[in-house]
Amino acid sequence: MKWAGISYALVIALLSTSAGAQSDPKAELAKLKPKDFPTQPIEFTVVYPAGGGMDVSARLLAKHVENWSGDRIIVNNRTGGAGMVGHSYLATQAKPDGYTVGVIASLLWGDAMLRAQGRWSFTDLEPIAYVNSDALIWVGSTDGPYKGMSIKDVVNAAKDKPNTIRVAIVPGSMWEYILDQIEANSGAKFLRVPFQGGGAGITALIGGNVDIAQGFFSEFRGYLEGSKVTPLAVAAAGRMDFLKDMPTFNEAFGSNEYLWQLVRYAVVPKGTPPDRKAYLAAAVQTAMKDPELIAEYRKQGVFFDPKLENSKNLAADLNAYAEVERQFYVKTGRLK
Amino acid sequence: MFERTLNVFWIVFGAASAVYAWSLGMVGPAGPESGLFPFIASIIVSGAGIVLLLRRAVVAPDFPRGGGLWRVLGVILGLMVMAAEMPYLGFSVTSFITMIILLRTVDRSSWLSAIALAFVSTASVFCLFGQILGMALPRGPWGW
Amino acid sequence: MMEALNGLLTGFAVILTPSNLYLCFLGSLIGTLVGVLPGVGPLAALALLLPVTFTLSPIGGLVMLASIFYGAMYGGSTTSILLNIPGEAASVVTCFDGHQMARQGRAGPALGIAAIGSFIAGTLGVVIMTFFAPAIAAVAIRFGPPENFSLMVLGLVCTLFMISGSTIKGVLMMALGFLTAAVGLDVVNGRERYTFGSVDLSGGVELLAVVIGLFGIAEILSNVETMAKSTLLADRIRGLWPSLADWRASWRPILRGSGLGFVLGLVPGGGPVTAAFMSYALEKRIAAQPDRFGKGAIEGVAGPESANNSAVAGSLIPVLSLGIPSNPVTALLLGALIIQGIQPGPLFIAQRPDLFWGIVASMYIGNVFLLLLNLPLVGLWVQFLRIPYRVMFPVVLLLCVVGTYSANKNVFDLWVMLGFGVAGYVLRKLEYDLAPFVIAFVLAPLLEQSLRQSLVMSPDGAMILIKRPVTALLLAVSVVLTFLMFRRRTKSEGGLP
Repeated sequence: MKWAGISYALVIALLSTSAGAQSDPKAELAKLKPKDFPTQPIEFTVVYPAGGGMDVSARLLAKHVENWSGDRIIVNNRTGGAGMVGHSYLATQAKPDGYTVGVIASLLWGDAMLRAQGRWSFTDLEPIAYVNSDALIWVGSTDGPYKGMSIKDVVNAAKDKPNTIRVAIVPGSMWEYILDQIEANSGAKFLRVPFQGGGAGITALIGGNVDIAQGFFSEFRGYLEGSKVTPLAVAAAGRMDFLKDMPTFNEAFGSNEYLWQLVRYAVVPKGTPPDRKAYLAAAVQTAMKDPELIAEYRKQGVFFDPKLENSKNLAADLNAYAEVERQFYVKTGRLK
Repeated sequence: MFERTLNVFWIVFGAASAVYAWSLGMVGPAGPESGLFPFIASIIVSGAGIVLLLRRAVVAPDFPRGGGLWRVLGVILGLMVMAAEMPYLGFSVTSFITMIILLRTVDRSSWLSAIALAFVSTASVFCLFGQILGMALPRGPWGW
Repeated sequence: MMEALNGLLTGFAVILTPSNLYLCFLGSLIGTLVGVLPGVGPLAALALLLPVTFTLSPIGGLVMLASIFYGAMYGGSTTSILLNIPGEAASVVTCFDGHQMARQGRAGPALGIAAIGSFIAGTLGVVIMTFFAPAIAAVAIRFGPPENFSLMVLGLVCTLFMISGSTIKGVLMMALGFLTAAVGLDVVNGRERYTFGSVDLSGGVELLAVVIGLFGIAEILSNVETMAKSTLLADRIRGLWPSLADWRASWRPILRGSGLGFVLGLVPGGGPVTAAFMSYALEKRIAAQPDRFGKGAIEGVAGPESANNSAVAGSLIPVLSLGIPSNPVTALLLGALIIQGIQPGPLFIAQRPDLFWGIVASMYIGNVFLLLLNLPLVGLWVQFLRIPYRVMFPVVLLLCVVGTYSANKNVFDLWVMLGFGVAGYVLRKLEYDLAPFVIAFVLAPLLEQSLRQSLVMSPDGAMILIKRPVTALLLAVSVVLTFLMFRRRTKSEGGLP
C-alpha cells in the first residue's frame, strides 16, 4: 500500500511538473538552447564605466538572464573614448560566436555616423532585444537666481541675457544637440560648460557651478528626494510616470522635435550563428518580462517605449530612429 | 653619444608634436582649444632637449653587453610574443610557451623544471583570474 | 557630536553579526591579495566581485566592497617594497624608498611601517568621517572647476619638489606626461587628439599599462641584465620589526600623510594615487636631508602608504553623504548601491542610517582586521626574497601581463606596457626620473579640463581664478612654492641644472 501511495504521488508530481512546464519560460528557453552552447561564460559588454547608468542597467539584466537561462554571464566594461572604444570593439573585433553580447545605447548611432569614419557602421551590430529607454531631462537647482522658474521662463531668461545661463553638456552628443535646437528656435543663447558625463554636470549644479544640468532620472533621483534639484522638462513624447508634473519640451514649446532619448538594447556582432542569436534573443526577452526586473528598472526612472517593446522587427524600428537622428545631423551640417 | 642622440630626439619629437598641436587649433571663442596644452608641452619638450644638448655634463649609460644584453632582449621578445599571440592562441597556451622560452633562454633551467614551472604558474594564474575572480582571459581556438 | 556617537553605536550594532563580520574579513583578505598582485587593483576586483554582492544583503555587500577598496591599499605596498613593482598605481611611490630598504635588508621594517601607517591613517580617516562627514561634504560640493584647476596646479608644483636628479630632465618628463595624457578624446569638445586613426588610442593611454610598464617591466629588465644565480635582493634580512629610530622618523609623516590623503581623497580627480605622490613630495620637501629620499628613507614609505589609506576614507565621504563619486572605484560603489535598490544622495544618511553607519563601523573593524592580517604576513613576504630571481621573474612577468590586461581586456594595453617598459628601462639608464611623468599624466587631464571649463563658465574669462577665494589662495601658494623651489635648487646645485 505504501508503495502504491508513493508511486501515485510520484505520478501526480510528474504530471503536474510537465503540465507546469508547458507554460514555464525557463523550459521554453531551454528548448531553444543550441547544442554545445554555451560552454563558457557569455560576456555582456558595456562600453561605459562600471557604476554608471548603462552599467547598472546591464548588470540588472545580466542577473536576470542568468536566473532564467542558467548560463553564466560576465559583465565586462570596455571603456574609453566616451564609448567609442567599446563600440569599435563590438563592431570590428568581437568574435561573432555567440559569446559576446553588447548591451549598448543608441549613442552608438552618433559614434557610427560621425566618428567611425567608415571603419564600421552600426549595421555591423544586430539588435536582438530591446531593454529600456531613458529620456533626457533638464533640471534646475532649488537654490540660486533661477530657482522656481519654469522651462519657458528659463529659455526666456537666456534670450534676454545671452551667454549668462550656464548649462552643463556632454560634448558631441544629445546634450549639445538639444541646445542647438532650442537656441535655433527661440533665439536664446546659453553658456555651454562641458563635462564628461551627465552626473558630473549635476554635481556642478548642486555646487552652484552651473545653472542648468541635463541628465537622466537615475542620475539625480537622490537629489530630487533631497530637494536640491527641480526637474524642468523632459525630451520625450509624453510625460513621465514618475514625474507627472514635469512637462515635455514639446508641450512647453508647441513642437514635436524635442525628442532625445537613450534607447538601450542588446546586440550581437554581425555573423553570429542564427541559432545562437535566437537563443540569446529569447534569453534576454524572457528576462525582460520578469516583473522583478521591470520593477527594478522603473525605480531607475527608465520607461519602456511601446513601439519597441512590441516590435515585430526590432532592427527595422531601431533603424528608423537612427534615420531620424541622421536627418538631424544632415540638417545641422554635421553630416554631408 | 647616446644621450646626445636622445636629446636631439626630444627636440625633433617636440617640434613635430608642436606642429600637430598647432593644427588642432590654439585658441578659440570658448578659450583654449584642443591644441593649446599639447602645444605648450611640446615646446617644453623641445626646449628641454635644447638645454640638455647644450650642457657639457653628459651621462654615459651602461648598456648591457653579451649575456646581459641577450637576456634583456629575450624578455622583450617574450613579451612581444605574448602580446602578439594572445588573441589567437589564447592566454593559457601563449603564456605557457612564453614562460618556457624565457625560462630556457634567459634563465637556462633544464627542460623539466621549465615545463613544470611554466605549467604550474600558467595554470594557477588561469585558475585564480579565470575561475575565482571570474575575469575573461582570451581563449584560444581550443576553447581554453 | 552626540548624534555621531549614536550613529556609530547603531552602526556597530548592525555590523557585529557573524555574517557581516565574515564579509568584512573576506573583503579585507581579498583586498590585500588583490593589492599584492601587480596591476590588479581595487577597481578590477570590485568590478569582478560586484555580481557576488547581489546575493548578499545591502549592508553585507557594501561592507565587503568597501573593505576590498581599502584592503588593496594595505597590500599594494608589498610588491612595491619587495620587487620594486607596484601592486597598483597608488603604490608606485612606495617603490622608490621601500625597495631600497628591502635591498638593505630592511624589508621587514618597511612592510611593518607600511601596514601600521596604513592602519593609523585608515582609522584616523574613519574618525574624521564619523564626526564630520556631512559638514565636509557640504564644503566639498562647492569645489568647482576653478578650485579643481588650482588644486591640480598645486599638485604639479609639488611634483617639482619630488624630482630627483636633474630638474630639466624632470620637467621634460612632466611635459611628456602631459602629452601622453592628451592622447585620446579631448574631453571638452570631443575631438580626437594624437590618435592617428587608431581606435585603441582613442580611449587614451591606460594608466595601469604605463605604471606597470615604467616601473614593473623596466625593473624586470634591469634585474635580468645582471642576473646572478643567486637570490635577488638582500643577502641578510635584518630584523622584521621597525626599530625605535624608524618609529621616531615615521610618526610625523604618518600623521601628515593621513591628513593630506584625506583631503585629496575628497576632491574629484584626487584619490589614493594623487595622495600617495603628494605625500612623497611633501615629505621630501620638508625633510632635513632630502637626498636621503630614493635611497631608503623610511619617511618615503610611511607618508605615502598612510596617505593612500586615508584617501579611501576621504573619497567615501562624497559618495555616502551626497551620492557623488570622486573616482572610478567610488563610482562603482555607487553603482552597487543603485543595483541594490538604494538611492545614494543627500538623504542617504537620514534615510538609511543603518547602511551609512554600518559602513563606517565596518571600516574601524576592517582596519583592525587588515593590521592583524598584514603584520604576520610580513614574515611570510620576506621569505619570498629567498626565492631565486630567475625562477620568480617569469611568474612576476606573467602577473604583470595579466594585471595590465585586467584593466580594459584589451591586448593593445600589453603593447603599451611593453613600450613603456623599454622606454623606462632606457631612460633610467640615462638618469631620468620617471615619477614626474606619471604624476603629470594623472593630473594633466583634470587640470586642462578644469581650466577650460572655468574659462567657459566665467563671464569675465580668467578673472574667475582670482575672484573665487579658494582658487586664488591655492594659486598663490603654488606661485610661492615654485619660487621657493627654484631658489632651493639653484642654491644646492650651484646654478641651474
